[in-house]
Amino acid sequence: MISPIHIISIGLGVSFALGFVNEKAKNLAATSMLVAIGLMGTISAAWLTALVQGAETIQIFTAGFKPPYSINLMMGLHEAFLSTLINLAGLLGGLYLLQSLKKAGNHSIMVFLVFIMGLNVIIMTRDAFNLFVFMEVVSIATAGLIILTETGKSIQAGFKYMLASGIISGMLLLGIVFAYYYSGTLNIDGLATANLTAMKSGSVAILMILISLVLELKPFPANGWALDVYEASNPGISAMLSAASATALYFVLSKIMVIANENWYYIISVAGMLTFVGSNLLGIKQDKAQRLLGYSSVGQMGLLMAILGLKPMLGDKLEFIAGTILLSHYLAKAGLFWLAGIIENENIKDWAVLRRKPILLVLFGTFLFALIGFPPFPSFYGKWELIMQLSAHQHYYILALVLLGSFFEGIYLFQWLGYAIKMDFSTLPEIKLNWNKIIPPVLFGVLVYVAGYYTSTLLPELSALNYIPLLFIVILYFIDALPIYIKNTVAILGMTIYGYQILPPLYENDMLRFIFASIFIVGGILTLIAGYAYKGKREGFYPVALLMYAGLAYIIQASNSLEFFFGWELMTAGSYFLIIRGKKSMPHGLSYMLFSIAGAYALLAGFGLIYAGTGTLALGSLASVTTNITVIFSLLAIGFMTKTASLGLHIWLPGAHAEAESDVSPMVSAILLKAGVFGLILLIVNMGHNAEAANIGYILGWLGALTALVGNLAAAFQEDAKRLLAYSSIAQLGYILFGLAMMSHLGFLTAMYYSINHFLYKAILFLTIGAVVMRVGTHMMYKMGGLIKNMPMAFIAVLIGIIALSGVPPLSGFGGKWLIYNAVLANGWYLQGAIVMFSGIIAFLYLFKLIYSIFLGQMKDNLRHVKDISIWFAIPVYILIIGIMIISAKPEWVLQPLGAMISQWYPDAALAWDGGLATGPYGYWNGNGIMITVGIMFALLATWLWMMSRKAIQVKQFNIVYSAEAPQRPETTHISYNIFAGYQKALGWIVAPKITEFWDSMTEWSHSLAHYVRQIYTGNGQLYATYVLAYIVAVYFIMIF
Amino acid sequence: MDFDFEKIGFTLLGLFIVLNWGLLMGAAMRKLGARVGRRYGIPWFQPWINLFKNYAIRSTLSHGIMFYLGPVFRLSGGIGLFLFMPMIIGSQLWLNYSFQGDLVLIMYFQFFGMLGMALGAGESGHPYSAIGISRGLSQFTTIELPLTLAIISIAVQYNTLSIIDIVQAQQGGFMNWTVFTNPVATVAAMLSLLGVLSHSPFNLVNAPNENPIGPPTEYHGSFLGVLQTNRAILHVVEAALFMNLFFGGATNWFEFFMKTFLIYFWSVFVGVVFPRYRIEQSVSWFLKVPLVLGVLAVILYM
Repeated sequence: MISPIHIISIGLGVSFALGFVNEKAKNLAATSMLVAIGLMGTISAAWLTALVQGAETIQIFTAGFKPPYSINLMMGLHEAFLSTLINLAGLLGGLYLLQSLKKAGNHSIMVFLVFIMGLNVIIMTRDAFNLFVFMEVVSIATAGLIILTETGKSIQAGFKYMLASGIISGMLLLGIVFAYYYSGTLNIDGLATANLTAMKSGSVAILMILISLVLELKPFPANGWALDVYEASNPGISAMLSAASATALYFVLSKIMVIANENWYYIISVAGMLTFVGSNLLGIKQDKAQRLLGYSSVGQMGLLMAILGLKPMLGDKLEFIAGTILLSHYLAKAGLFWLAGIIENENIKDWAVLRRKPILLVLFGTFLFALIGFPPFPSFYGKWELIMQLSAHQHYYILALVLLGSFFEGIYLFQWLGYAIKMDFSTLPEIKLNWNKIIPPVLFGVLVYVAGYYTSTLLPELSALNYIPLLFIVILYFIDALPIYIKNTVAILGMTIYGYQILPPLYENDMLRFIFASIFIVGGILTLIAGYAYKGKREGFYPVALLMYAGLAYIIQASNSLEFFFGWELMTAGSYFLIIRGKKSMPHGLSYMLFSIAGAYALLAGFGLIYAGTGTLALGSLASVTTNITVIFSLLAIGFMTKTASLGLHIWLPGAHAEAESDVSPMVSAILLKAGVFGLILLIVNMGHNAEAANIGYILGWLGALTALVGNLAAAFQEDAKRLLAYSSIAQLGYILFGLAMMSHLGFLTAMYYSINHFLYKAILFLTIGAVVMRVGTHMMYKMGGLIKNMPMAFIAVLIGIIALSGVPPLSGFGGKWLIYNAVLANGWYLQGAIVMFSGIIAFLYLFKLIYSIFLGQMKDNLRHVKDISIWFAIPVYILIIGIMIISAKPEWVLQPLGAMISQWYPDAALAWDGGLATGPYGYWNGNGIMITVGIMFALLATWLWMMSRKAIQVKQFNIVYSAEAPQRPETTHISYNIFAGYQKALGWIVAPKITEFWDSMTEWSHSLAHYVRQIYTGNGQLYATYVLAYIVAVYFIMIF
Repeated sequence: MDFDFEKIGFTLLGLFIVLNWGLLMGAAMRKLGARVGRRYGIPWFQPWINLFKNYAIRSTLSHGIMFYLGPVFRLSGGIGLFLFMPMIIGSQLWLNYSFQGDLVLIMYFQFFGMLGMALGAGESGHPYSAIGISRGLSQFTTIELPLTLAIISIAVQYNTLSIIDIVQAQQGGFMNWTVFTNPVATVAAMLSLLGVLSHSPFNLVNAPNENPIGPPTEYHGSFLGVLQTNRAILHVVEAALFMNLFFGGATNWFEFFMKTFLIYFWSVFVGVVFPRYRIEQSVSWFLKVPLVLGVLAVILYM
């Protein structure tokens, strides 16, 4: 094995040798540098491999003396890992910067090599003074690299950097001098054993050393200089500073912490948390890409600092948590800065240009999701473990701050992603792709997935995870260039096989999961069939659609909360990409994502508290929770209700569903929302027996009722057909929430029956309306009319859909109404129940408006020749209609198994069945008999009237009787716009957008706050230096008290 | 399902009685209204004349399939309500098909005809129809709210949603009628009834003056005949519902005629006294006193 000292010797040696290379031989110089870094990396990687396989940590003693008389280096697992990371970043970063470095000359190449070498040393060294020296070396090299791009800004930034690092190194040197004075050693281990804290004034030495290292990590608010550096440097350099320097400095802080006591851990965690939350908050207002990445970088380092500060609590978990988050940050941040260099556009809105090269967009998305902590990336597992540990040790404030900071981070990152996916890029310049600029981010993109996979194998909770769906998605990604019909067939086949594998065993063992899995998988297949109606390639659609379905499948199959959360986040990511595909979906995608993240964090916190209470992650442990029940129940309920879009958390839904593509709307409405329902059911059947949960259930009942009211009322006032259906979904999910909240047999039966029905009729309606929209080119109902003649197939589908939804007998919706009455009476929730029933009647308003405005009334001239809906939409629609008809005629086929399933949780007050006759605690109902009676009667009357009117002359719609005046034109005779004006006058106040205003004001407040706070960054170097000093003084005073 | 021809025969007979009673009652009420307004009014047999005339008209126009199905839905709705409503308690023969569903079925079957009619009138393409429907639906939502509360109240009171059981519970003297045992719910429901029967002041839907005749504007001939048939049946059945729920039901046809007449008369009585509301007024009206009473009726049983 080659001694690690040669990492230094190669670095130094080649740097010196470069001085002799002719200034014109730039290729030679650059190649030597890359080879040198490559060799350094090989050494560290070799050590890493050896150490992982169980080799001993080695100490290198220079000059043949042992410490404290000589400098010693150490190569352990951490050092090997980090120096491998640094050398890898150095190699790829050097490659990336090839042109810039060559242009600047051999001295720059030399500086770059010294920079990487210096980072290696500060990782390995165990000597405080040596540390100082090489930190100085790195500082000077950094300053040199900052001014690599010779713009005014970068020179200013370099100068500010020198000002700040001057203060910092002065402080560090003083600290080391004091430490040596008091302890007589410069060796870090020696300093640790000398126990400086116990010595008179020893703590001053510690203060100076630690504060300078903390300052190197750019704590908020003493980090103005760093932001300017990130912003102004060459992106390749910023990548190095963010990925390599910050990683090394973080490790330095962590190794030097051995000299300090508990108080310092506390200070570090506070400083870190402040930085994490503060800088992510300020990021919200930022619109320059590199500076934004700077904020994010600083924020991530803050989080890592906080984690380090929590070492006394985290114990041996620290390594995993900090390691995964650090690794994600390293890969993602370098990748993002590299992308910034390829884009060459400062404004984040201009990142839409990434779409010219889809691979770049994929990379961008990957890095952002890795940064936020989505699965399957390492930080997901790190954050999960962190939250679990924080909960287990009852550090609720820190937990809340971690989630808050992550949420702020989500705001700006997803806004940015939204710009990249949706903004117009036609006016932006072409992207020039050099091979050396694309290899590094691609490689890091691949690595972040590999790292994620590797991390997941470390967790025993994920050992049962089935990777085949994810693999399938990867395959779909690689065949993305093929035409739609091939990809669609592959996707449908994949889902079918998967369904064939998981559904039969679920049917045998677990009815609840069987029902939801059927909705997800059968619904998925049906909605995918509609995809054949599209032409071309539909790039990027299939991987994300299948990602959502894979997430849903993971949720079904999860046996512990980590698996569940894993699936939940995958589903969120997939559905986000599906939603944002719509033409005008940018803001809606963002608002969906933000509600989803916030909801996911509520779930995370809830799962954390369960883990704290029971010590296990198994989903079944919900039932045995005995502490914090109110908080856990509320957190989980809120988390799930962001998906079911209950009142207050619903504002993302109308836009997201309405603006989505025609076949995506049913996916995200009829299917996706059920994930929230499934979660709520799991929550309630496991935790509902607690008195505290029942109290919250009472609130949820009211919430469900009001959601139903507001949803239906708002739907009645929509002019946009898809928005109308979206509000209708909100209301329907309100019924379901209401039913579940009753926590009784009939309540659950209502909710389950509604879940199945809502899936059927909302899929029918969204698919049909979506298909109509594809034909007529508008969502606005008042721009349509009289289409029944052109679109009989669509009309019949919508007719069946609205009759079923409205609850009019004899179709399936009536069963739901009947169940609600019985459940409400049995449960005594009369007033809430009356609101639910009232909302059910309001539904008639929008259902009439929907079918009338589109299909009946007068036709528009421009639509006289539209064709009926695409057959590919009609096929799934009519399959679903068969489903509705079966359930309508034979409700017992569905309700009996549901009843049997629910009886395992709520055995009381079940329905009694006698053939098709159901008898509840209050009433009775024979769906089958009613269907036959009504059917016969209807057929007889229809025949009778036909007999009487068979000679009637068929006339067009416009042939109408008027009294005094004649209508001018059919299109102005169609009554549709604001058709319920009177109703709006009377009851419109109920749906005044107060909740939207509330969330808007929250957004405004956070933006204003961010704007206000970021004024501390004036750009003045002296001021920044003052902040650094003030920070030191502040920490000093805190330490005194 | 077994076909019990005796049952079918009696049900059809009942339907015949109800239809004619409805026509007669309609004529009587119009006559009463006219006399209050110091007019002579129509002859008592006018509804039959209208019906025969309409069914006999040979030249009709149709705007399409839904236009034709609208009246079918409407009449199915009316007859369906009749079928699912027990008429005369005490005789199995007049209970119709009420064994197939309870009060909830009646509540929701009301919409069967309304919805179908709305769609049929919609296809006629006449703007007045659409205006009429939008008003009708708007008004009906809030009519239903106090009614729903009243029904919850009596369902709790009698511990059942079965109409037959509710009627049975009221037997044994008029003091057992819901109107005396649960007056608040009865008042709330009777106020709703004004809307259900859509007489003045809640007759903006058909708005005879400025909006010729609301949803049926384009209907004529046999289509209109079907609608008129339905209206006669529906008024009796709605009155029968209130009779069953609040006034002890009927044990024989005489009692049935008396009670339905008086219940129907209540709406005519109010109608001749009060002028018509605008739609936002009527929508709000049901959310004031009737709603408060409805809530009170429920709270009393909580």
